[in-house]
Amino acid sequence: MIYIPLFTDQISEGYVILFTGLIIVFSALLTLSLFFKYGLPVMLYIYKVITKRKDKKISEIKVEADRNFTGEIAAAIGAAVHIYLDEQHDHESAILTIKQIKKPYSPWSSKIYGTQNRL
Amino acid sequence: MKKILLIFGVLSLLIFIRPALGLNSNLDTNKISSSISVDQADQADEADSLDEAFEGIKHFYNYTGFANVTSGNLMMILIGIIFIYLGIKFDYEPLLLIPIGAGVIIGNIPFVAGNQTGIYETGSVLNYLYFGVVKGIYPPLIFLGIGAMTDFSSLIANPKLMLLGAAAQIGVFATFMGALYLGFSLPEAGAIGIIGGADGPTAIFLSSKLANGVNILADGTTVKNLIGPIAIAAYSYMALVPVIQPPLMRLLISKEDRKIKMKPPRAVTQKEKMIFPVVALILTTFISPSALPLLGMLFFGNLLKESGRTERLADTARTKLIDIVTILLGVTVGASTQADIFITKDSMLIFGLGAISFVIATCGGLLFAKFMNLFLKGDDKINPLIGAAGVSAVPDSARVVHTEGLKSDPSNYLLMHAMAPNVSGVIGSAIAAGIILSFLG
Repeated sequence: MIYIPLFTDQISEGYVILFTGLIIVFSALLTLSLFFKYGLPVMLYIYKVITKRKDKKISEIKVEADRNFTGEIAAAIGAAVHIYLDEQHDHESAILTIKQIKKPYSPWSSKIYGTQNRL
Repeated sequence: MKKILLIFGVLSLLIFIRPALGLNSNLDTNKISSSISVDQADQADEADSLDEAFEGIKHFYNYTGFANVTSGNLMMILIGIIFIYLGIKFDYEPLLLIPIGAGVIIGNIPFVAGNQTGIYETGSVLNYLYFGVVKGIYPPLIFLGIGAMTDFSSLIANPKLMLLGAAAQIGVFATFMGALYLGFSLPEAGAIGIIGGADGPTAIFLSSKLANGVNILADGTTVKNLIGPIAIAAYSYMALVPVIQPPLMRLLISKEDRKIKMKPPRAVTQKEKMIFPVVALILTTFISPSALPLLGMLFFGNLLKESGRTERLADTARTKLIDIVTILLGVTVGASTQADIFITKDSMLIFGLGAISFVIATCGGLLFAKFMNLFLKGDDKINPLIGAAGVSAVPDSARVVHTEGLKSDPSNYLLMHAMAPNVSGVIGSAIAAGIILSFLG
């Protein structure tokens, strides 16, 4: 028979979970961030060495010319282009009608035309 | 024609309100028959069958909502209407609030039990749809879609912001303690705590595992079924992020700090973006394997997006699939608020704890950002406002941070920076859910 755990027991177990939980969450995300800070560049470098191909790095592109070109400007340009492309369609009338053609006869719809004029 | 309809309408109305008025049926019919001679003749001939017909109508009336309605039902229907109103009028997460609001109305239409109608009756259609919530099937599918639509590049560019996502998880554990002190059992408290993670799918996932009304506690009692209240609390506070967070930001962050401009994040190569989901999946699930359904699907979805070869799959995951699951999840979670099960003291406590947990999570993120600033110098300093985005609530809290930043300095665009703690908050709360699950599951 398992006895009902005491109220204080539950609380103390709660504190255990509180601290271990917080530590684990922090350490998990810390490992992840450390990996992407230090591990990833190493991995990419090794990859570069293995493939022996010159990988074009962003840092190798000269930044002097467009020092003032920030992500915000890029976003503004992107938004402008997006808005412009969205407005390519002019508002047409939604009413579609099938118009009577002027010349009702057409070789395309004629059986006799087809029999008389062999291609 | 109109006249006939009108007479018929009045007749049926009188029949319905007859019990309320306490009138004799003959009295009523006499009154009407004086005006309609044809009806009178019929009634005189078929008095017996009329009585039977009245019996039938009475029987039918007993099955209608009018006969079974309780004040709780009406209150919940009103809440459902308020949800829909908030979603439409103020644009607070309408994709969630409108399905949930409609679900609340659906779940609170009064009915006679035993006809496989209600969501809690085995065999009913709603019950089958609710299965996905009870067994925690929908949340991982939602995470797949979230993964396929999330861009982790701001996080890869600035990995230290990941810690802000962890700091906001203080809310989860603080609420957990609060729930324990209020007398909830350990698994229930764990499920309630995750509301502080500000992540609807995670909250549903964890509560379906811990507080599902099926599991048996150490003392022999079964846990309460808290899926409904927890999900509703999580989603409604997520929708209220634009209301909850700004006052806290203004309270905790000084005017000068709010104006800090962060340097634009570096460009991230496609290779890094592809490596991220694989590495993050392996690392996080090795640390917290219980969160595997959530994190596995999240990073799998992201891999679909970034691999560049599976655009079709990613497209389905982030549009059609997540839409379908959101519809089912929203409606069934809403419908699970059936008044006789939902309106309890526990639900009210959960709502209170939920609000507190959001406040603590936001404060945790903000204060940790300030704390991080102590160690950072010059250009690297972060704007403490983005700490508030560490509570997940993607992407609403990042948007709130952005608008708050703009209020202090109209040329300070924080959205891109705020997305980093925002997505790491999703990862963090999933890890926290995994930890709680492994302790208490």
